[in-house]
Amino acid sequence: MNSTLEQHHVVGGGLLRRLNFGTAAVSGLIFGFIAWALSHHFLDDSGQGFADQVTVLTGCGWVVGFLLGIGALTGPGKWFTGRDQNHADEMYLAGKDLGRKRYFQYTTDHKVVGVQYIIATMVLLGAGGILAMGIRTNLLTPGNHFVNQQVYNGFLGVHGMLMILGLIVAVAGPWANFILPIQVGARDMAFPRLNALSLWTLIAAIPLLLGSLAIGAMDMGWVTQGPISDQSGIGFDLFAMSIITFTISTTVAGVNTICTVLTMRTKGMTMERLPIFAWASIFAAGLGLYAFPFFLVVMSLNLADRMVGTSFFIASGGGTGWLQENLFWLMGHPEVYVILLPAVGAILEIASVFSRKPLFSYRTVIGGMAGLCGLSALVWAHHMFTTGWAPTLGGPFMLTTELISIPTGVIFLVLLGTIWRGNIWMKMPMIWVFGFIVNFIVGGITGIYLSDIPVDNQMHGTMFVVAHFHYVFVGSVLFGAIGALFYWFPKVSGRFIDEKMGRISFWLVFIGTHVTFISMFVSGLRGMSRRYSSYAMIFEHTNFITTIGAYMIMSGMLVLLGAVITSWRSGEPSGPNPWGGKSLEWMVPTPVPLENFEVLPVITSDPYTYGEAKS
Amino acid sequence: MTSNDNHKNNLRQIFWIWLAITVFGVVVGIYGTPWLMPTAASDTMHLSILTMVVFTVAAAPVAALVYAVVIVALTKWRYRGEGIPPDGPPIRGNNPATSAWLVVSTLLTVFLLVWGLALLAVDNGAESKSEMTIDVTGQQWVWSFGYAGTQVHSHDLFLPVDTDVKFEVTSKDVVHGFWIVQMGIKVNANPGAITTTAVTPNRVGTFDIRCTEICGLNHAFMVTRVHVLTKKNFEQWLASQPATN
Repeated sequence: MNSTLEQHHVVGGGLLRRLNFGTAAVSGLIFGFIAWALSHHFLDDSGQGFADQVTVLTGCGWVVGFLLGIGALTGPGKWFTGRDQNHADEMYLAGKDLGRKRYFQYTTDHKVVGVQYIIATMVLLGAGGILAMGIRTNLLTPGNHFVNQQVYNGFLGVHGMLMILGLIVAVAGPWANFILPIQVGARDMAFPRLNALSLWTLIAAIPLLLGSLAIGAMDMGWVTQGPISDQSGIGFDLFAMSIITFTISTTVAGVNTICTVLTMRTKGMTMERLPIFAWASIFAAGLGLYAFPFFLVVMSLNLADRMVGTSFFIASGGGTGWLQENLFWLMGHPEVYVILLPAVGAILEIASVFSRKPLFSYRTVIGGMAGLCGLSALVWAHHMFTTGWAPTLGGPFMLTTELISIPTGVIFLVLLGTIWRGNIWMKMPMIWVFGFIVNFIVGGITGIYLSDIPVDNQMHGTMFVVAHFHYVFVGSVLFGAIGALFYWFPKVSGRFIDEKMGRISFWLVFIGTHVTFISMFVSGLRGMSRRYSSYAMIFEHTNFITTIGAYMIMSGMLVLLGAVITSWRSGEPSGPNPWGGKSLEWMVPTPVPLENFEVLPVITSDPYTYGEAKS
Repeated sequence: MTSNDNHKNNLRQIFWIWLAITVFGVVVGIYGTPWLMPTAASDTMHLSILTMVVFTVAAAPVAALVYAVVIVALTKWRYRGEGIPPDGPPIRGNNPATSAWLVVSTLLTVFLLVWGLALLAVDNGAESKSEMTIDVTGQQWVWSFGYAGTQVHSHDLFLPVDTDVKFEVTSKDVVHGFWIVQMGIKVNANPGAITTTAVTPNRVGTFDIRCTEICGLNHAFMVTRVHVLTKKNFEQWLASQPATN
């Protein structure tokens, strides 16, 4: 009886087996259209905020339709109707024997989700990069009008948000999904279906963000400061919807990551034997759980102001833009460390493997990461030194901000201690690690200038700030993310990323980063405000150089993209453990089988036993 | 050579590279930073530039240490054989090194903090002793200035030199950022609120005002000038202006 039932499911299919990315997109569009039509029909079109109401409801329709169409609700639906999924369904969901098809479906296998995150990251960073090139082209010469000011302002905001979202998932998305469960000795994430849910919710959010550009008039940068966010066109509604959707995705993903590390570790994998990347992942995920609710709230209140005439952030209605700024930066500063920590975790893993040495002072770096998380929740108002809000708080926030340089220094100590007297193996992953170290010191030190209020009074809102955080995001996080890609790519594909193209891309991106952002520092020092669509003649040379540097970064990234695509198809085969790593992901075969381990391993030491007695 | 000699050699190399980069950083900090920044037109700006210089000088040895280790790692510790290198020394930590690192970074942080708080006290003092008040209003995309006690308004700002000026800043629509570039002061103009900042211009001349918060279409063009005049010229200018509302 049982077997006929299973047979029926495998052959007959059922709704579950007909859903994929295509049906999701179609269903999303249909639901979006229905929401649009219904809201047009039923809402008062003379009322204030009508256009915003229609846009937001259409966005909701898209998200719900997309998730229905991908099959996110099939499982819960079956559960409600008392027909929970059987083993064949589970195997189908895990993508067993589905070949390439499983990458376009609601697949629960953490390795498939990891690969899907690689693609999503590339889309986000690629789109953000194209907008960056638009921005820089517009700034090539003073008074250049590559795009009009309205479009330019839209580029600024959407570039910022695409890059932020892209970098939040750049390391945590692919590697906390693909690698982390194997590293801790688990057969999958703690909640495989939630894992798929977080991925597809993210995918649903991306078209909304890009769509906000298409319908235009979003002219306040990514920080969406009130009350200009109230003035902006309907592009902002989709922008905010996209972020609300993203916060759901990242919350689900964060809970999953934490639960996986806390509950799914194999026998002997004590917390003190965890690979440092696992520690970094749970710190980042935990910090995200603190930070992103503020994101959800600030965007929701902003939408309420626009749609239904509340006035949380509108002074003429009794609200205040300072509330918006506080809520935004309560999210915005921890978010920097949500982005940074997974990259640091990956960097530390690579540094140990490619120096052939144990991680230096394992407990110190865990303490450092904990310190970063704790302090990062207490520094948000340093983004508001010049807003005029609560000047009395300047001193305390300067204190917390400067304190954060101590745990940041610990990261450097551990990195340098790990490479200290090692046998440095300069393969591609390690090359990016050295790039990270060189760039992160610049990003870190320029941050200390800005923490000082008299300097911030001069530098806030200038290109100096832009250059500072780009040294952190591009120079450090992106370098870490690319290093991680080179490091773990052989585990994903069984092949190396082409070394020659890798080196070309490294030098283009590395030199490009310095050309771009050093000249940008100079623009800022000389007095150029940020978010300018045009500038005075005195900024001519530095901006020209910045644009050239930006083109270098883009060409480097294109070479990297080419290397990844060609190597995925026909790169040099790597075998299961090409780097001589000791963490569990290098102990399983490549390609990693479904459920990772035939027999769950028993752990007797941490993965950093280089130069110690053979185990 | 034994590995111990090698190690001593490496330490010596790190020291010399560190020294060279530190000297370079200090020179760039002392001469480069002021050269790149606008010439100060107030003591506030002067202190801001001085802080940039001091912080660069303080940061130079830190960055130099990191770069020195990186350079030695890339040249001396690099494995040049084929395949996976043999394991290095199993150094799992070094309590004296970690403690020293923490103590030094804490001391540096305390220094930065004391420096910052001291300057903050100077800045806050300036506001309380103001001799004249300017009402600054931002709106998309112009600045206008009212001179307290008169009916005079202008779109270029006029200030007397060596006078403690307080600015009361607000906005008619969205948030703008009021920044006098060469005087090192900046505060946002918020609708429905008045924010303040203060400065004492110490140089006669014409300087720049730029908006620092994105305020819509013409944010980049929300610029104007501040003309710092001698006290006598300023009185003449003020008397010659028509009263407006």
